[in-house]
Amino acid sequence: MDGSRWITTAGLAAALVLALAPAARGADETDAELRERVQVLEQELGLLKRRLEVKDEEAAAKAATTVQVGAGVDGFFLRTPDQKFQLKLRGYTQFDSRWFTEDENAGVDSFYFRRVRPIVEGTLFENIDFKIMPDFAGSTVVLYDAYANLHYWNLAQLQLGKYKPPVGLERLQSATSLMFIERAFPTQLVPNRDLGVMLQGNTESQLFSYQVGAFNGVRDGGNAENSDVDTDDGKDVAARVFFHPFVDSRIAPLEGLGLGFATTWGQEKQAPPSYKTTGGQTFFAYRGASGTTPAVREEGARLRLAPQAYWYWGPAGLLGEYVRSNEHMKRGSSNVTADQVAWQASATYLLTGEAASYKGVVPLEPFQPSKGGWGAWELAARFHSIRLDDDVFPFFANPDTAASSAEAFAFGVNWYMSRWTKFVVNYEHTWFDGGAPGGKNRDTEGVVLTRFQLSY
Amino acid sequence: MLSLRKRPGFAAALVALTWLGAGIARADVTLLNVSYDPTRELYEAYDALFAKHWQETKGEAVTIHQSHGGSGKQARAVIDGLEADVVTLALSGDVQQLADKANLIPRGWQDRLPNRSCPYTSTIVFLVRKGNPKGIKDWADLTRPGVAVITPNPKTSGGARWNYLAAWGYALRENGGSEEKAREFVRSVYANAPVLDTGARGATTTFVERGLGDVLITWENEAFLAETLGKGELEIVVPSISILAEPPVALVDAVARKHGTTELATAYLEYLYAPEAQELIAENHYRPSDPNVAAKYASKFPRIELLQIDRDFGGWREAQAKHFVDGGIFDQISVSK
Repeated sequence: MDGSRWITTAGLAAALVLALAPAARGADETDAELRERVQVLEQELGLLKRRLEVKDEEAAAKAATTVQVGAGVDGFFLRTPDQKFQLKLRGYTQFDSRWFTEDENAGVDSFYFRRVRPIVEGTLFENIDFKIMPDFAGSTVVLYDAYANLHYWNLAQLQLGKYKPPVGLERLQSATSLMFIERAFPTQLVPNRDLGVMLQGNTESQLFSYQVGAFNGVRDGGNAENSDVDTDDGKDVAARVFFHPFVDSRIAPLEGLGLGFATTWGQEKQAPPSYKTTGGQTFFAYRGASGTTPAVREEGARLRLAPQAYWYWGPAGLLGEYVRSNEHMKRGSSNVTADQVAWQASATYLLTGEAASYKGVVPLEPFQPSKGGWGAWELAARFHSIRLDDDVFPFFANPDTAASSAEAFAFGVNWYMSRWTKFVVNYEHTWFDGGAPGGKNRDTEGVVLTRFQLSY
Repeated sequence: MLSLRKRPGFAAALVALTWLGAGIARADVTLLNVSYDPTRELYEAYDALFAKHWQETKGEAVTIHQSHGGSGKQARAVIDGLEADVVTLALSGDVQQLADKANLIPRGWQDRLPNRSCPYTSTIVFLVRKGNPKGIKDWADLTRPGVAVITPNPKTSGGARWNYLAAWGYALRENGGSEEKAREFVRSVYANAPVLDTGARGATTTFVERGLGDVLITWENEAFLAETLGKGELEIVVPSISILAEPPVALVDAVARKHGTTELATAYLEYLYAPEAQELIAENHYRPSDPNVAAKYASKFPRIELLQIDRDFGGWREAQAKHFVDGGIFDQISVSK
């Protein structure tokens, strides 16, 4: 190769090297840059992850101390995360009507609020429950429930305040869960509300429960509403036991059987009771003052005995109770011991497949026609009776105005639109022994009752 | 007739039955020590030492339960009902809350034990990656762009509040006491903090285990521990100025009385000042309060110019009100970030 060709070749080679050298340098830099960029990205990703973890820790710590506020199936509530402190607001209202079907002995047809009851209840320090429930129906204010329940142990709870004494089976049932619009005659022989202290307990499965307490003592069907202070020194003792003997047996038809017995005993000194029909008409009252003869007063010992039972299986339910109230009446210098007896037998059947229950019915399909839901439909029937002791006539009770007995049968349809709303229609027919002038029977009463109930 | 008026004997019997029922035999004695985040290793070792000491001197077995977390969070937990027999928190301000907000301890609690109830102290240093690739030497380097600072949240962590005040104190010194410049300086430091853990141990986890960040501002004892665990991949950098961190200990009187552990809990705290406990403290990288033990371990702990909370910041009450309450300076710089 001559010199010029060598120089040309060398020059071309040098030019080729110079051209390729930047590309070679650029590939190395790209790797290093890429590595650095990956490290930076890894750092950023790691920091993002850590930030999320810290946020989760902070959110969890905040949730552990933040009071929860909400609304649910049981009303409105505030509660601490550990649920040791809770406040619940709920209530129920019942808008009723009654229509008498017979002109004789008819009361006044009317719409009315039967119950308007806001309920404030809650828990303090995990083991102290409380409940306050006034009633505003009839445009009056009556305190029905105001009590605290200390429940450190299931089998030994202490309840203090004003509440239902543990006696009548249908009385102890919530007003929102009743088979019929008005409770039956036996409920008129047991206390409604009273003030006292009660020890109670139950096993986990409710196989056995008991209540025993001391109360001021109210008359039959009475509510300590006029005054929350007793009028005499005597106190009533009330006790009740209730069993579900087959609740753990796995014999399905018998699991819903409940049997119980309640009793009260005490010394009374108060105005006597009176008794009303389902339509709200008084068919028995003791004599008031007449001339120099004073009004009848209940004075002396009173003993109540109340065997009771229910049975629920699938869509069917039965409830029965018997109450005997042995009480002493006084008028002037005369005394009488009266045995008042009442009993009832009630039955229900759900047509739409739900399970009947003492605690009420929740429809499987709430009323939503567009979705094919028609709520739950229930048929009800009952027979109940009350008999007043013949010994109270005629001096303590006027046979021309006070019946010696009343019996009634009733039919009803309950429509549960949802767990919060219910429509009820009842027809009840009541007939009497005595209670009219000349030894005649008081005219029968026929009444149609309706109810719209909203509970939450 | 049931009349309760004339049956006092019945009521007395009921009371007697209640007292009998309440006579439960005493089980093994236990204590709960609610502490701040990085003291886990220290108290694991100390609890074993104390339990041995108590067994030997009193013949009684004792079990000590520990709870650890951000100091502020721990104090709030005790106020809210966590039944601590003793607290060993990061700063006296958190312990003071137990007196101010819940009456759990008396107001003069800090004078009940030597050295203002501080059996050990510490300070704040930096922990960096091996070779110190970002060249962190002092507080000012934490404000440089591209430096990721790991430090916990002063709202929940006592250690974080020491960190913050050390930075603030540095900025005041460098800027002739200008609070405006100190505010800007601290804002810049926290602007470089990509994540604020709830406690000092969480921040250590982020830096050491997750490998995140360029510098960790932390307790000196935590830095020593992390350096050991880091297997040579971490280095401690001592800044030009820091703060004397004085984590106090206190008996929670109301709880100890309720548990019947006052004598035991008091002994538990007093034993922290015993020579063997002070040795243990130094071995766990805390600066012991006993001057003899401190002298023995002097070479381990670097000499730093230290700010003091009472002398330089008016005490914790003032520092808390100025910097760390809701709407305080820390919240303001966080918003403006």
